[in-house]
Amino acid sequence: MIAVLGLVLGVVAGLLVGPEVPAVVEPYLPIAVVAALDAVFGGLRAMLDGIFDDKVFVVSFLSNVVVAALIVFLGDELGVGAQLSTGVVVVLGIRIFSNAAAIRRHVFRA
Amino acid sequence: MSDRDETPTTRLRRELPAEVPAAPAAPPTGAGRQQAEQQPALTGRQRLVNGLWPPRVTRAQLIVALLLFGLGFGLAVQVASNSEGDGALRGARQEDLVRILDELDDRTQRLEEEKQGLESQRTELENSSDQAEEARRQTVEKERQLGVLAGTVAAQGPGITLTVEDTKGTVEADMLLDAVQELRAAGAEAIQVNGVRVVAGTYLTDSGDGVGVDGNKIDQPYRFKVIGKPQDLEPALNIPGGVVQTLEKEQATVVVERADKIIVDALRAAERPDYARSSSQ
Repeated sequence: MIAVLGLVLGVVAGLLVGPEVPAVVEPYLPIAVVAALDAVFGGLRAMLDGIFDDKVFVVSFLSNVVVAALIVFLGDELGVGAQLSTGVVVVLGIRIFSNAAAIRRHVFRA
Repeated sequence: MSDRDETPTTRLRRELPAEVPAAPAAPPTGAGRQQAEQQPALTGRQRLVNGLWPPRVTRAQLIVALLLFGLGFGLAVQVASNSEGDGALRGARQEDLVRILDELDDRTQRLEEEKQGLESQRTELENSSDQAEEARRQTVEKERQLGVLAGTVAAQGPGITLTVEDTKGTVEADMLLDAVQELRAAGAEAIQVNGVRVVAGTYLTDSGDGVGVDGNKIDQPYRFKVIGKPQDLEPALNIPGGVVQTLEKEQATVVVERADKIIVDALRAAERPDYARSSSQ
């Protein structure tokens, strides 16, 4: 419950404050958000499976974000940033979908 | 990366039967750990409800809340910055911007070249229309000049009048022709006799007691209206043994008068020659 409140508060705060995205993190923010979403779905699924562990969640969340940003950064340096971020988004999207499917099975039994 | 990665084998095995059979509650290939989980008989749904209500302030909840706060914040910021007015370029990456800039440069260059081409075309057209206008002007001018010669336009200018009164009917066509030739030789530019324009193809014939000019019979007195330089025309007629003396020898009365303004207004239709064609362009 607290976690859900945290998410809602974050969205509200982001909308209210509406800060300018610094130019340095601008290319990485969307990918980082998608990676964090993946981690959140994974965590939710783990919770439904009853194997949720907050330490694992924190590590996976942060490492997801960092690795996604790192891949994008590397891609930018290599000159394939656009393609690589597309690839990252695709992979994360697939994972999110499979996690969502597992969650759905838990919640709706279907 | 996520929790799911921690136990890939069990996860995979559990997923597969869940998709196929109708009763996922008892997967046949469940690992020992999974069976241990099912001991408390808690389903995923119950766990979800338990997690949501009642709210418990635990370390895990707080940490997850913190991370989710960060996620929500980032999400909202990204969405907000993406939906701004200049969003098209705002989220773009450096290389994309460079590419867009390059494309714009190329486009600008192409348009510039097109503009230059069109401008030079315009200049060309203006020049050519100027030239066409000039050519047309010259053509009109030429037409007027030629019209004076061909007798298709009226002419006026200084000149002389030559009046031949032939009361005795002794003046013949060849004498008048001599007069015309003399006038032409002296630079006459337009001549008419009694209302008939004298042009290059004019012929004179004897016709009863008068003279035919181009088939038009004219009677005496014969009045020549001649445009040209009077100082040249008059002496040309008056030279000894010339036109005037010859006519006077035939007892005709000849009067030559200079005038500042002679109007030659007898016209002749422009005729297209039947056979002769211009051999020049």
